[in-house]
Amino acid sequence: MSVIAPKFKFSEFVKSILDNLFWAILLLSLIGIPLTQIILFYIEMPVINGELLTPFLALTWIADPSRTLPIIKAFMTTDLFRIAAFPGFGFAALLAAGTIFVERKMLAKLQLRVGPFYCGKIEGILQLMGDGLKLISKEIIIPAKADKPIFWAAPVIFVGAAAAFVALIPVAPGWVVADVDVGLLAVFAVIGFFPIITILSSWSANSKFPFIGGIRALHQMVSFEIPLILSLLGVVILTGTLNLSEIAASQSSFPWIIFLPIGAIVFFITMLAELERIPFDLPEAESEIVAGWLTEFSGMMYGLVQLGTYLKLYAFAALFVVLFLGGWNGPMIWPPFPEEIITKGIEAGPITVMIPGLPVFSQEMINGVIWFVLKTVGVIFFILLPRGVFPRIRIDMLLSLGWYKLIGLAFVNIFIALGLLYAGVLGPGGIL
Amino acid sequence: MMSTEDKKETSESKPAAKPSPAAKEVELPQFEKGIADKIVGKFGEVTQISFVKPDRVGINVKKENVHQVAEFIRDELNFDHAESVSGVDYPQDKEIEVVYHLGSYTDPTLAKQVIALATRAPREENPIPGKDATRLPTLRDIFYSVEFYEREVFEMLGVYFDGHPDNRRLLLPEDWADLPPLRKDFAIKGR
Amino acid sequence: MTAELPPGLALQKVDERIMTLNVGPQHPGSGHMRIIVQIDGDFIVACDPDPGYVHRGEEKMAEYRNYITNIPHLERPVIHDSCNVLYPYVLGAEELLGIEVPERAKYIRVIASELNRCIYTMYWLAIYGIFLGHSTMFMWPAGDREFLIDLMEKMSGARVTHAHFVPGGVRNDLPPNFEDVCLRQVNYFEKRIKEYGAVFYDNPILISRTEKTGVLSRQDAIRLGTTGSVLRASGVDYDLRKKEPYDVYDELDFQTNVLKEGDSYARSKVPWLDMMESCRIIRHALEKMPKSGSVRVKLKPNPKGAIDSVYKRVESGRGSLGCYIVSDKKPEPYRVKLSVGSFRNLIALPYLLKGEKLGNMPSVYWSLNYWPVEADR
Repeated sequence: MSVIAPKFKFSEFVKSILDNLFWAILLLSLIGIPLTQIILFYIEMPVINGELLTPFLALTWIADPSRTLPIIKAFMTTDLFRIAAFPGFGFAALLAAGTIFVERKMLAKLQLRVGPFYCGKIEGILQLMGDGLKLISKEIIIPAKADKPIFWAAPVIFVGAAAAFVALIPVAPGWVVADVDVGLLAVFAVIGFFPIITILSSWSANSKFPFIGGIRALHQMVSFEIPLILSLLGVVILTGTLNLSEIAASQSSFPWIIFLPIGAIVFFITMLAELERIPFDLPEAESEIVAGWLTEFSGMMYGLVQLGTYLKLYAFAALFVVLFLGGWNGPMIWPPFPEEIITKGIEAGPITVMIPGLPVFSQEMINGVIWFVLKTVGVIFFILLPRGVFPRIRIDMLLSLGWYKLIGLAFVNIFIALGLLYAGVLGPGGIL
Repeated sequence: MMSTEDKKETSESKPAAKPSPAAKEVELPQFEKGIADKIVGKFGEVTQISFVKPDRVGINVKKENVHQVAEFIRDELNFDHAESVSGVDYPQDKEIEVVYHLGSYTDPTLAKQVIALATRAPREENPIPGKDATRLPTLRDIFYSVEFYEREVFEMLGVYFDGHPDNRRLLLPEDWADLPPLRKDFAIKGR
Repeated sequence: MTAELPPGLALQKVDERIMTLNVGPQHPGSGHMRIIVQIDGDFIVACDPDPGYVHRGEEKMAEYRNYITNIPHLERPVIHDSCNVLYPYVLGAEELLGIEVPERAKYIRVIASELNRCIYTMYWLAIYGIFLGHSTMFMWPAGDREFLIDLMEKMSGARVTHAHFVPGGVRNDLPPNFEDVCLRQVNYFEKRIKEYGAVFYDNPILISRTEKTGVLSRQDAIRLGTTGSVLRASGVDYDLRKKEPYDVYDELDFQTNVLKEGDSYARSKVPWLDMMESCRIIRHALEKMPKSGSVRVKLKPNPKGAIDSVYKRVESGRGSLGCYIVSDKKPEPYRVKLSVGSFRNLIALPYLLKGEKLGNMPSVYWSLNYWPVEADR
């Protein structure tokens, strides 16, 4: 057994820590604090405890703990936080990373293997990070005759489009990046981008296998967008709105999947096709066309496309939850925040600590997020499951499935919705 | 180009010896003898039975007649496919032998039987594959299954098959410029 | 074709509509070969298989080594099926050297060759699964092979390249209590492969995808000289273990599996059914095998073959495998020719792929039970 650091000396160790600490403090005070001040000067500051926060006051939370939570709460209402962290990109990326991990482990268990095991001690939980580092450190090779600007741009636009899709998803009441009145139309518009990005990237690679893969992706996505849009019309008819938050809120007593199961099934199948998951992963069918439209991507360009794919997967699963499974609605399982902490503070022996700004999140919001995440994870599980069970189907079978069967079923779904509406059972002014 | 028309006398000195049927007439299996006799009865002196063993019949034919004999074997004797085509180089005879092993799927009585139809092409000392006298008529129009085997024999021994639709290389690299590698004068380095 | 080009090369006219795809040699769906596919839209108009990327000159090498030293390298074409690849050579060498094989060795050979057939077929099935995008069918057979590989390791000492068959018998006797372990493993193995039916062969997507694709009619299967599972999937009942029983196959109880459809689905199903027959054969052979006795005839050092030529064939995992040995009274054979099933089935590939969709290429190609390394030798 080899020793990791054979020349280890404790005094050296302490010295190195102190060195690092010294440099950290020096750099922070010389560069960090002035930089923060400059940034804060240009940002519109919120009003805390009745006074406008100035750049000077913004840093007083270090000295005055009672200001900490209000400032954090104020920050959480900014667009930046919403886009980058909670209902937006960061949250989605975290769920996507979890999806990749679950997919690998679940598929491994299904196939009597172990899956990622060594990286990160506990069941290979850091494998994804390792893969990401590997992809980042790899060389990016661009085909000699590729159309370079488009080829470079395609993965970035792909991630951008996926993030735009994520931005439209309401996670909890009021927690949505873009609360658009025509949210569902915006979703259709964003979905419409993906085939264009695919065909652009595959065409710009100037290579045969990406070209075939791109053409296949174009066929597949375009022909499955129609049943996808049609299958969601039933929900729109019954709720009378295109706003996703309102659609989710309208399902407080029952989710739409009870009344529109056909629409939910059609949407699920088209979702698999839009996501290029097995059994519809023809654009990436490796035994036929290498990796389809991803063939020429290398290094982090491939990593970006994968990131976009899993963001898209999360967004579609979340859309399914919002439209058919009732979004954040569910029984209240989160206990209410104890009142006495707000009114009396925390008594710890002789001292009483009053923490202003509590609670950080309302009970409804936490409960809604829990239900939303639970439902989304369930849907993602069902999206992942076919990969272990089904082989890939052929492009002609796929197209006939999309054009003949799914569109027909989507119309059946619309008629069911219309019937329910005109019978007065559901919808605006219905009896339920 | 060498004249190799009068090489049939030297066939006694071949390494793959052909014990004449008369030598061990006592043990010849009846069924296989019948097959051999049918061929000899039809073509007479043109064909020469090299061996008759259980389930195996060996026939030597000159290259002018091989097409005719193969057609007879397919049409009259119900041998419907070629199992294998092997080329064997005999430098001392200045000949290259090509052996077609023919079998039958359709006739259950012939399921065990294999006819080894051997023919010989003249051998060049300095071969130019495809452009010298080492030529044989193709049997692809009779047995479709010899197509890839004949391509292999062409590249490995330099026997050009006249009438074969596709005489390209198969296994060797496209830019192979050495001798055909299965000839005996192609020596492995270090051996 | 212009005069300057060497015989391997040919100029080709390029059509604007037709796109030429080089599927392989570095392609996840080709194995160690290249299939030059010309497609018009989604349809294959022409296909030109180009093997030879793993050509190792086994036949040339065999002319330089004597009858015993030929054994380890002649099994290399298909290391998963190494006993069956070696089988015809050993049978031919025995006839040339005039050796009679002990009874127990014959049974051990049959058991080993059936185990190897299963090992090969599992590997083939794994690749067939991943070619169709069914990753579970890739992992399951690849894992379940291990049971049989362990058995072969017990028997011969090596996991894949056994070099177990020698002229005159097998190299060494079975280890003690091999029969019990073998029976147990084979029974479990049979139980496992029956589960494949539920996950793979009865899968509606698989059936709708491979049925009626790449149909090889009975007449064409015979005319093209295909062999093995391809032939039997087209309705020709031809299995050399039945038709020309070698060693002790005539004393064992089994049947051949013949399907009539001749499509990719039938071609992929026949090897699976054959594996179950192999399990039966192994059980029966274990029962009938003499419990003791010699397993090898001692050979003289550097044995010399008679001046003769033999053509022996056995039924391997990929069909009839013939070995043509010409001997000239020297320790080395004068010429060894392996006539392998893969090479014979390859001729059906251009025939079957013409007019198929590009998406059917992997399933049709791999359902031919083709092993590129064996075809190249």
